[in-house]
Amino acid sequence: MVGWIWDPIVATAAILLGLLTAYGLLRIGHKIAKPRPTVEKMKTYACGEELKPEETHSDSEQFFSPIRRIFRPFYRYIQPVHTGVLSTYLLWAVVGFIIILAIILLTVR
Amino acid sequence: MIPHAPILAIVLPLFAAFLMPLVGLLSKRYNAAKACDWFAIAAMIGTLLLVADMAPSVWGGHILIYKLGGWSPPWGINLAIDGLSIQMALMIAALGTLVIIYSAGYMQRDTRKDLFYALTLLAITGMMGIVLTGDIFNFYVFLEIMSVSSYALIAFRRDSNAIEAGIKYLFIGSLGTSLILLSVAMLYSFVGSLNIADLGAKLATYRDGAQPVPAILIASLALFVTGVMIKVAMVPFHTWLADAFTAAPTAISALLAGPGAVVGIYWVARLPYLPFGLPVGIILISLGLLSMVVGVLMALTQRDFKRMLAYHVISQKGYMVLGIGLGTLGSVLGAQGGLFHLLNHSTYKCMLFMCAGAVLFRTGSQKFDELGGLGKNMPVTALTFLIGALAISGIPPLNGFVSKYTIYLGGIEAGLPIVTAIAVLVSALTFASFFKAFSSVFLGQRSERLRETQEAPKLMLFPMLMMAVICVAIGLLPALGFNIVGPAQSAAENSAGYISQVIGGI
Repeated sequence: MVGWIWDPIVATAAILLGLLTAYGLLRIGHKIAKPRPTVEKMKTYACGEELKPEETHSDSEQFFSPIRRIFRPFYRYIQPVHTGVLSTYLLWAVVGFIIILAIILLTVR
Repeated sequence: MIPHAPILAIVLPLFAAFLMPLVGLLSKRYNAAKACDWFAIAAMIGTLLLVADMAPSVWGGHILIYKLGGWSPPWGINLAIDGLSIQMALMIAALGTLVIIYSAGYMQRDTRKDLFYALTLLAITGMMGIVLTGDIFNFYVFLEIMSVSSYALIAFRRDSNAIEAGIKYLFIGSLGTSLILLSVAMLYSFVGSLNIADLGAKLATYRDGAQPVPAILIASLALFVTGVMIKVAMVPFHTWLADAFTAAPTAISALLAGPGAVVGIYWVARLPYLPFGLPVGIILISLGLLSMVVGVLMALTQRDFKRMLAYHVISQKGYMVLGIGLGTLGSVLGAQGGLFHLLNHSTYKCMLFMCAGAVLFRTGSQKFDELGGLGKNMPVTALTFLIGALAISGIPPLNGFVSKYTIYLGGIEAGLPIVTAIAVLVSALTFASFFKAFSSVFLGQRSERLRETQEAPKLMLFPMLMMAVICVAIGLLPALGFNIVGPAQSAAENSAGYISQVIGGI
């Protein structure tokens, strides 16, 4: 059905070929210019402070903070209304029903 | 075909559920710890074989009509299995079997396995009944069987979070089923029938616009749509889902995300054509788009592995509802894409929950900030999660790409390129969200506490690997999926054919 627009076998072969090419280029690049980091550069540190592995773990909530900034109205107004209060959620369902009823009235009549 | 296969596909898991406490007692008496596991697996394999046995006949163009007690429809209750029903039944049976196999590993530390399997098999009975019945009141009965079992399963571990989630789902879910019951009562009072085909035949005059649609029918449709949307968890009816999927045992999260999603979408696919046949396309498209966007934006900021997956269930169901909605505007690609996405999503979301369960089983945590670096300890789980993550993000050549791509084309075909643009954007955000999940759980530094973590047990890995293979196979050979989805989409839209085959003509 989608053969005319999407041939998965050819596309997969192309993707794999692309990956192999990229890997090959990476290997060649490493051979030509070998990385020689100093001992200090190999250390994980922040402001000179040595960190434990668990302390280097990125904060999951702030992982995509730029995206949070782009969709600021959503995170400011929509996310906080997910309060977990059951009566509020039941009210949402009732409001949803009224909207659906209104749309059906407008489209059917 | 095996005689009485349609009813046996419902009765087999039902009887297995009722026999499970007895098997549990015997397993304790004779010290056979795995007896409940094997009994449940055997029941599900039997159910799968029964459904698979019906499939060739249905795909051959027939609608299987099973008259209970020999009473002809519309007088008696009947099961009616067309292309749409068989797709759903196959998915419920196949994914249900894999979930039960996974449960044998995941629930090995629990002591009430007989109760767990009894409830799980009852939930599967309800799901199977919903997609096979040709009677709208029986749809309600099976919906209640599935729902009540699910409430109990969500609260199975009896900790405070599980009980709160179970109660929330109980209240909101009961509101949904009550609205559906009220809708069915209104339909019965107006038409005098409960048979879906008979209802479709008698409401055809309103569908054609020959007569104005009466208020009772409008109210009944609104109640029915709202009830179904609560079960499907479309925004703003989605509020029960995140808590329920987070707190439930992960095998149950997988069951509700996979086979559980099937039953709601089955009715979304039926709604535009039977029994009402009134225009609901704009509602489906609006709710689908809203759910896609809200679901993915909520998922992006989650700190809990299962909660993030739960919000993606809402987002991805939005794609399905959107696709089916586009189908009502004449886009065949949209309708097929929606049903294809159901097939794909149920598979990889089930698998993703299983991966989360495997991590939880081995580490005791589902918090992103407490995990990390597990790719070295759990390579198979990491690989299957990666396949699922790429599939749900719509990355070629996996199955999620094919169905999402079909929905994108459906948006253009329906003359709504803005819908396609939003769908592509949501896919990009989905990828971002799963990149975070994979990075937080499987990459990066590993804390001392996780250094000795082992790979998940083989019984848990087997269904995960099976689903990963399905994701790759359907991605590479999409015709496998379209051969199932094509007849399903044709059957859903062919209400006249359904009516004529079930009750012999309009």
